[in-house]
Parts: sequence; C-alpha cells; structure tokens
Amino acid sequence: MTSAISVRHLTKDFKMGLRGLKLRAVDDLSLEIPRGQVYGLLGPNGCGKSTTLKIVLGLVAGTSGEINILGFPSATAEARRRTGFLPEAPYFHKFLTGRELVRYCAQLSGVSAIKMESAVEAALGLAAMTEAASRPIGTYSKGMLQRIGLAQAIVHDPELVILDEPTAGVDPVGAAAIGRMIRTMRDQGKTVVLCSHLLGQVEQVCDRVAIMDHGRLVLEGRVDDVLAQRDRHLMTIEALTPDARVAAESALAAHGARVRSVTHPRRSLEELFRELVTGSRDA
Amino acid sequence: MTFLEAVRQKFFAFLIVLGAAMVLSSVAFRFLDFGHGELKFIADFGFGGMFLFGSILAVVMTAQLFFAEMDNRTALTLLAKPLSRAEFLIGKFFGVWMILGLFVIILSALLGLVLWGRAQELSLLAEQSGRVAPDFSFRGLGIFAVLQWLRLSVVAAIVLAIAAAARTFLFAVILGALTVVAGQLQWIAQDVLLKPTESMLYKSILWLTSRILPNLQQFNIGDALVLDSGTVAATSIGWVILSGLLYAAAYLFLGALVFRRREI
Repeated sequence: MTSAISVRHLTKDFKMGLRGLKLRAVDDLSLEIPRGQVYGLLGPNGCGKSTTLKIVLGLVAGTSGEINILGFPSATAEARRRTGFLPEAPYFHKFLTGRELVRYCAQLSGVSAIKMESAVEAALGLAAMTEAASRPIGTYSKGMLQRIGLAQAIVHDPELVILDEPTAGVDPVGAAAIGRMIRTMRDQGKTVVLCSHLLGQVEQVCDRVAIMDHGRLVLEGRVDDVLAQRDRHLMTIEALTPDARVAAESALAAHGARVRSVTHPRRSLEELFRELVTGSRDA
Repeated sequence: MTFLEAVRQKFFAFLIVLGAAMVLSSVAFRFLDFGHGELKFIADFGFGGMFLFGSILAVVMTAQLFFAEMDNRTALTLLAKPLSRAEFLIGKFFGVWMILGLFVIILSALLGLVLWGRAQELSLLAEQSGRVAPDFSFRGLGIFAVLQWLRLSVVAAIVLAIAAAARTFLFAVILGALTVVAGQLQWIAQDVLLKPTESMLYKSILWLTSRILPNLQQFNIGDALVLDSGTVAATSIGWVILSGLLYAAAYLFLGALVFRRREI
C-alpha cells in the first residue's frame, strides 16, 4: 500500500531580493507518512514545517524533490480531492453561517448534490458544530472557528486530513475536544497530519512524530519509541514508608541497580484544568 | 461568493450613491449646458458618472477582492481544495462582473428615468411653442449600458492580471488606474500613428502599446446611441463587443498564467 504522503529529497529555496540570495527553508527532506495514523510534524518557528505543508498542498512549488499524496503527485486536483486542510488561524467569510461555509467547501470539493446535506451535517456533527451552524461565522469564538475549519476540511470525507496548529489559541477544554475529533478521524481510517507547538497534545494523540530543525529532519519515529528511556524504569508505589524505601534501595543495590529519584506522581496542569472546568466547553 | 462579498461592502453602496447622485443632479445642473441640448447634457452627465465611478469600482473592488483573499488567507483554504488557480481567478472575475453589471443597470435605469422625465417636460414645452420635441432612445441606452458593462469588465480583467503578479493592493490599484487612463487616451496613439513624420521606433512602440492596451474610448458612443439613434451601425457595435470580449479573455488568460506560479 502506498504511503499517505511520500516526500523525497524535497528542497525549497526562497529568493531574497534582487541579488539572487537564497534562503533554504527545506533542505533535502524525505518522509514517508503511513496511512491510518496520526502523524505529528514538529519543530520550532521557521524550521520549514509550514513550508513543507504548503508544498504538499500545492500552494507553493518546491525547488526540487518529489511529493506524492496517496499515490498521486501532490499538485494535482486528484490528490487534493482526497485531502482536507485546516490552515493555521483560519479566517472565513464572516457573513456566511457555519453551515453555508461547509456547504460551499463541499461544493468546491466535488461533493454531489445528492450527498450534500448528509455530508454537511456529518461534518458539522463530528466537529460538534451542529447547534451553532446557523449562526454567522463573525459571531464564533476562536475554538468554534477552529472547529468549523475542521468541518470544512472533512466535509468531502478525505482520506488524508492536514491540520496546521488546530488548537492554537484554543482553551484546554476546546483543545481536548479537537484531540478527541482527531482520534475519531483516525478510528474512521483517515490519516491525520498534525502540525503543532503543543507538545503535550501531540504526545497524546499522535502515533508517529517527525521533528524538523533548520529545514532538516532531525528525528522520526513512533511516539512510544522516541520518548521511551529504555535504560530507566518508573515504579509507582503506594504506602512507601521510610523503612520500606531503605529496604527497597538496599535490595536494588544488591542487584547492581541504583535509585536515581523518588517523586510523587503528578497530574498535568492541563488535566487538572479540564477536570475543573468541564462545564465551560467553548462557550 | 465574490459577488455576495462585494455587494455587502460599504464601498459599493457608497459608489452607487455617488453615481446616482450625479445622475439625479444632472437635472439641477442643466443650465450649464454649454449651448447643447438639455437631454444631451443630462446624458453626458450620467455617462460621466458611470465612467468615473464605474472605473473606480472596477479597479478598486477587483484589487480589493483579490487581495482580501490573499491577505486574510482564505485563498489557502480554497486553493487547498480541488480548485485550479485559473478557476479561482475566473470565479473572482465573474463575481466582479456581476457587481459591475448591477452597478451599470442601476445607474442606467436611473439615467433612463431622468431622461424620460425631462423629455416629457420638454415635449410639452415644444408642443406649446410649435417646435420639434427632443427625444432619446431607450434601446440605445440599453446598448450603451451593455457596452459600459463590457468596458468595466475589460478593466476588471486587466486589474486581475495585474493583481495576480502584484505583491500589494496599492500597486495593483495604481497600475490599474494608470491602465484605465492609458486606455482612455488611446486616440493620441492612433493620431501619432497616422502622422508620417514620427520616427519608426516611436511609432512601433505606440503600435505595440495600442495593441496590448485596449482602446477604452471605443465604448464611449453613448451620444450616438442614446440621442442620435440609428447613427451607429450594428456591425460597429458588434466589433466593439468582440474586441472587448477578446481583451477580457486575453487578460484573464494572462492572469491565470501568472497566478499559476504565485506562491500563496
């Protein structure tokens, strides 16, 4: 089976001024993004990940290299018909209602008239936007804008969904909701490419990650593999008394092991926040 | 979508109001008729309003609608769909084309109304004094409206081609406005080309520019169509329409070629 996205030796140079100076934004990047997974593309600002996404979507031409989406050259309409895209900080025509926007995007994506209404309602439902779909987009909160953006990206039931910073500016409850939507899409068999700075969220929802820096790929692999420290182990112990701790450390030392630290497990602030404000879902 | 976006803009309403005010006020200013007939003065005033505000609308609105998509990054969402760059540009053009049509129809209807009202009054006066009543042609006004719509559409196509290559809204508007002025002054180039004394290089440059830029003056046959009905041959009107359509298509094609290479 072909990859969802196959990037081979991609390089992108931007011309700077009239003297022919070049800025290399992407440098000989090769990636294979497998189908049916959530794939995180990470990196600091200016590392080339947004440029890579734009080249993948045919919005910018690469200087050299080859990109295929689901087996089709990336610049073709056929590739884009199978792809949904949510840009960073999406902006839509404010005079449209959410439903009108999703319907318009469905028309542009070639959804047939027979399937139109069911496709629009399904996308609005997945994005939890059915209730607000009749309101003008100008009245939406940031979280709702992201969710309606997600709905327009998936209305034509694409096999590949590319999300550029889908939770930027969204509160943790809204971000968690978007995280759930991403997992739902994966469960439906879609491939999701997620570009984000929120490493905690990426860690939670992604199966694989790639990290870019200075236009180059510096790490790629399964999340569990790249984060695991195979030479260290974490035990969570209940009712550990000082005596029991000394005894455990002695027993471990007898086998050549050494306790490096003993701490209390913590919840993340995000988990605590979500627990406390579950009633305030993106009002 | 482009039409809906444009028609909601205050700028469009503002130009409609200004144009309408100019047409309606022509009756009040008719004493400044410079020796011409009253209906001719009113018609010329209306044609002037349509030309001036229509040109501003065609240049500014076209550039604004294009750059709004680029600057607000809605183009990112749209062009990530299975929509070609040419389709995007043609969609913009037809949105602007519809708004220009609405503008021309409203102003032409108003002008027709003003002309008809004054013609009725003048007919009564003429009857009383035993003179021939002045008249005008509604059909001629209709044809003139179509020609103005086409002229403004050519301007919109040129501005879209410029915007496809331009980096800023201001650059597109300034160059678009200069193109309108150059198109209106084509008769100077035509005059020079007819003179045997000018240098061949100068004449060649003028010949080339007169082919690249459309002669927008050829659409200004309002007087002949509206007041001297029947003096313009149908074939002449046909050639003007054909020329306008060809220029609009050529500039749209050029714009699509340039826009294909643009990085969004």
